[in-house]
Amino acid sequence: MFEIDVVFSFALFSIGLFGLVSNKDFLRIFFSLEILINSVILLLASSAKYLNLPDNLPFAYMVMIIATLEAAVGILLFGVANKMTNVVTPDNFAQKGALDE
Amino acid sequence: MNIVFLTLVLILAIASLTLKKSIAALISFALMLLVLGLYYIALDEKLLGLFQIFVYAGGISVLMLFGITLIGVEFPQSKLNPWSAFFVFLFFVGSVSLFFANSATLDVGSLSNVEQKELFVQKYSDFVILFALVASSLLYGTIKMVKVLAKGGK
Repeated sequence: MFEIDVVFSFALFSIGLFGLVSNKDFLRIFFSLEILINSVILLLASSAKYLNLPDNLPFAYMVMIIATLEAAVGILLFGVANKMTNVVTPDNFAQKGALDE
Repeated sequence: MNIVFLTLVLILAIASLTLKKSIAALISFALMLLVLGLYYIALDEKLLGLFQIFVYAGGISVLMLFGITLIGVEFPQSKLNPWSAFFVFLFFVGSVSLFFANSATLDVGSLSNVEQKELFVQKYSDFVILFALVASSLLYGTIKMVKVLAKGGK
């Protein structure tokens, strides 16, 4: 049923939001972002199926592709920043001089 | 059956954010993505499900594994703010109640699966160009950013 999918996707979104605001290390922030994005994809896919809205599917694919690229870029930047500063939390970058010119 | 899949997804999502061991968190994260892909296949969105399994449960998990090699076996400690949990719960209750208050206005169409797929191909085959544009711009931005960061490191 569509209603069940909606409730579960909202729950997944809430879990991702909680992880995003409560964690400080990079990797868990990435996990939370991916969970947020997956909840949106779940909502789009289930609405395409149950509400006969095929227009939602291309958006689901687009969100998935952009999320993939975002994760790749994010991990790459995290690797470079970690190599430069040896920190794993974004809050400490300014203290370690990573953002200086 | 849907409830079983989705409950498993929720449990694995919570586990991936709360486990202290990074490899265990990554495994639960990958399993969550795999179960979501299986759920899409069960929904008869086979391409989306396969894409989810190949790209997310495969590719992204390996990327995260690279990240874990930098962090180590355990995640760093972080303090949990109880207010954030309260506000997130409030958000969940508000969004669900908003949905059920307005769910009567949802219009259910009458297209069959074959018609849906034909419509999809007719309307959105040009989206490939947009995907390629987005991908190339992100790739270009990444290369520029790495160059800037490498200069800053020196």
